[in-house]
Amino acid sequence: MRFPKPRRVTLYILLVFFAFLFLLPLWTCITTSFKPVHDVIYTTPVELPLSPTAEPLITALNIMQRPLLNSFTFTISAMILSCLLGSINGYILTKIRFRGSDTVFLFFSIGIFIPYQAVLVPLVLTMSKLGLFNHIEGLILTHTAYGIPITTLLFRNFYGVIPNSLIMAAKTDGAGTWTIYRRIVLPLSLLPFVVAAVFQFTSIWNDFLFGVALARGSEAQPASVALANLRGTTEFQWNVQMAGTLWYALPVLVIFFVLGKYLMRGYMAGAVKG
Amino acid sequence: MAGNQLPGRKMRLPSRTMLTKDRIVTLILFLPSLVLVGYFVYVTIGWNVVVSLSDWKGLTPSYNIVGFDQYTRLFQDPTFFTALKNNLVLILLFVPGSLFLGLFLAILLDLKVRGEGVFRGIYLLPFALSFVVTAVLWAWMYNPSIGVINTLLMKTGLGFLKSGWITDPNVGLYCVVLAIIWQFSGYTMLIFLAGIRSIPESQMMAAEVDGASGFDLYRLVVIPQLKAPALSAFVVLMVFALKAFDFIFVLTDYSDYTYILPLMMFRETFSMNRFSYGAAIATILFLLALVIVVPYLYLSFRREKE
Amino acid sequence: MVSVAIINLTKTYGTTAAIKDLNLEIKDGEFFIFLGPSGCGKTTTLLCIAGLLKPDKGEVWLGNELVTSSERDVYVTPQKREVAMMFQDYAIYPHMTVFNNIAFPLEVRGEDKSEIVKRVTATANLLGLSQLLDRKPRQLSGGQRQRVALGRAIVRKPKVFLLDEPLANLDAKLRVKTRTDLKKLQRELGVTTVYVTHDQVEAMTMADRIMVQRDGVTEQIGTPEELYNHPANLFVAGFIGSPEMNFTDCTLIKEGARLWLDAREFKTPVPTQVAPKLESYVGEDLIMGIRPEDLYERKSVKGSTQKNALRMTVDIIEPVGPYLLLHLRKGRCSLVARVKHTTARVGQEVDIEMDPSKMHIFDKKTAKAII
Ligand SMILES: Nc1ncnc2c1ncn2[C@@H]1O[C@H](COP(=O)(O)OP(=O)(O)OP(=O)(O)O)[C@@H](O)[C@H]1O
Ligand SMILES: [Mg+2]
Repeated sequence: MRFPKPRRVTLYILLVFFAFLFLLPLWTCITTSFKPVHDVIYTTPVELPLSPTAEPLITALNIMQRPLLNSFTFTISAMILSCLLGSINGYILTKIRFRGSDTVFLFFSIGIFIPYQAVLVPLVLTMSKLGLFNHIEGLILTHTAYGIPITTLLFRNFYGVIPNSLIMAAKTDGAGTWTIYRRIVLPLSLLPFVVAAVFQFTSIWNDFLFGVALARGSEAQPASVALANLRGTTEFQWNVQMAGTLWYALPVLVIFFVLGKYLMRGYMAGAVKG
Repeated sequence: MAGNQLPGRKMRLPSRTMLTKDRIVTLILFLPSLVLVGYFVYVTIGWNVVVSLSDWKGLTPSYNIVGFDQYTRLFQDPTFFTALKNNLVLILLFVPGSLFLGLFLAILLDLKVRGEGVFRGIYLLPFALSFVVTAVLWAWMYNPSIGVINTLLMKTGLGFLKSGWITDPNVGLYCVVLAIIWQFSGYTMLIFLAGIRSIPESQMMAAEVDGASGFDLYRLVVIPQLKAPALSAFVVLMVFALKAFDFIFVLTDYSDYTYILPLMMFRETFSMNRFSYGAAIATILFLLALVIVVPYLYLSFRREKE
Repeated sequence: MVSVAIINLTKTYGTTAAIKDLNLEIKDGEFFIFLGPSGCGKTTTLLCIAGLLKPDKGEVWLGNELVTSSERDVYVTPQKREVAMMFQDYAIYPHMTVFNNIAFPLEVRGEDKSEIVKRVTATANLLGLSQLLDRKPRQLSGGQRQRVALGRAIVRKPKVFLLDEPLANLDAKLRVKTRTDLKKLQRELGVTTVYVTHDQVEAMTMADRIMVQRDGVTEQIGTPEELYNHPANLFVAGFIGSPEMNFTDCTLIKEGARLWLDAREFKTPVPTQVAPKLESYVGEDLIMGIRPEDLYERKSVKGSTQKNALRMTVDIIEPVGPYLLLHLRKGRCSLVARVKHTTARVGQEVDIEMDPSKMHIFDKKTAKAII
């Protein structure tokens, strides 16, 4: 439907106004990351730096390097593991099925929504017992386990539209459960794998709670925790803080711009965050 | 031929319905997930409840069960009520705020906007970012001395509106709400937009022929059909508002005026080492989330079955 | 190549019974067709034979092997049944080339590479798919896909073929051609074939024997000729034959020693050879059935001795290929007659007579055929 002209102008003014509000924090983050201390004080945050410098970015990277590497390690590992398990679960829950498979799925789904505070104490105890407290492996295990419910949901939704006749045909052709998965279902799963991987990457990368509870001040510290610490240790160096933020946000920003379409599909599948 | 036994037929190799090879394969494939989810979700929740019934304080675990002592103490603790009150205020402002802003943005984008994809991307971008990122960004926005908002107010001659923002106990909580609405309304927009797009175009045209136009069309035709997306967005927002932790923890630490239950849980447990006390708060959070989530999951399950 | 036997098979979904107590024996090498309207349980029966569905009750035998029996707790998985099934949507693996689709059942069974190539090539030649082996399914036409699915079924030389409406998605011309090809192929391979369709023409032209199903119940089993000439009940009589058989309500009356069918608008004597079967129905309501091709315009049959002609008005004249369909009416009675030619015009009256030996009579209460 078309509004009359003046109302269309209002519409675009509103859209641009909101776009400005939504981008403002990020924009000032970028400008400030390139400002020397002098510019931070003497220019408004929205302005471009007078004498741009990479100094803050280098300083921040020196501090964040190790945690960023840690985050990459456990994020990618847990992403792969949770996607594989989710894919297998989705296959079993839609195409194999067994008595009570819907109930199992219901119990998995609850796992998507639980406040992680409710598992934090036993989780820390478990990781200490396993000797994985303050270890990357502990974070991998944790993020894999808590990623399974959502990846299962995503894959289950996608596999729901693979025709059952395809699976039945494979059965009469002589293929067993594993062969059907390997030869039929998995090759048809490129899209759900991209969606689930993108979704898992961003949510694991963005996590703070598990990181701060399981690997706070250690070698295994994730970038999110390092950034929060950076905020404490560089109280008045806003340019360094912003530079650190930029480094930490960069992978997610890249994913958002390159694969945003798939990320949206993940969000729309009823997914949560936090 | 109608008989139960056909003449001349010999049973050959009857295989039983017991554990076939395929069933074993299924079990092996499913077991890791079953164990992981079973342990990390259900055993840990149960374990947490057990801890909440004990008197464990300090660094060595104690499973001396004392019953509901922690809960009785909790209900006599004024900080619990402060946290609960703040949590409620947060929910009451944040949930409707995000829903309305998201709906508004979705309707704007539905009006055949040029560059819709770009605007949609911009509005959704904050949702993709980590809460730690947004916390640092908003700390910078809200910084009273050289932060973005105050500087901009000064420059535009609105200096009298300057405030301590997040550091001001009177408005600090509202500042938090504003920031998380900023982060979540892109998500609600996405959900509503998908809902709007699933309404057949022909319905809109029919309503237009009937004389509805502009926002009336949305009020009368579209919005009443957005119950399902509104419900799922509502559940997601509610659950988030209950467990919001990262953002406030990084932004304001344990300041009184933004102290909510998840922060209290974390502080009691990991700063004060009152493990059983923290576990009791966690249990309450879990039950509150369950009250919202279980009816929702049950409903969507029933709908899917039909 | 084996026979298939189904004993007391029952399958219920929730409250709808898809198959009710089915008994059936399909002979070795036979081309057997399940015919029935949509939703009557044809696919369900095939799935039970293939082992893709477990029935609530009953047994399935493939040759001498009991493959399904809920009572005796026997269940052979579809993988081990050596049954090939072709699905209505063809179920071609969309990510595999034509070659790989056809090779799949052989690969899964661990055949040698060279043997696979040999047999896939032979199958492709047989079905005219040789040029298409490197294509992906989405680059194929409907008819080509159908042949790929068929190729996948025949390449591994199964004991039984199960074909679920294999021609339903083809256009009319291709369907007729494929019908003959398929029948010929089945003859050559000699594999016991169970074929599902709701198209009675397809069933009549292809089958050795047909089972007519309705709402999970078997209405009749027989050769095409048997079903056509001796339908067991009203449903089969109406379902088979095109244009449909004419039905008229009538009463059986006795005048002197002679039995008459009284349809109000006309009366026709019961042929003496079938009279004994009807004796007990005197005074009862019956339904008389006569196929359109068994009705004649009086002039068209020279030297006819029949006197039971009926004067009717021509409503519509419909040319169908070499024939004409005359839609006729008299009072509440309307009939369709199939004739080679006519001089009558729409609105005119014609004299119609029938061959009493071709008459079908059904009990109105039970819908069963009496003769
Ligand atoms: N999975 C299922 N759940 C519930 N009901 C089913 C299911 N599959 C089939 N039915 C029902 O069982 C009956 C028989 O179904 P079936 O698929 O065997 O019919 P059909 O004869 O193959 O029909 P068509 O010609 O349309 O393919 C139908 O009433 C159908 O609705
Ligand atoms: Mg069917």
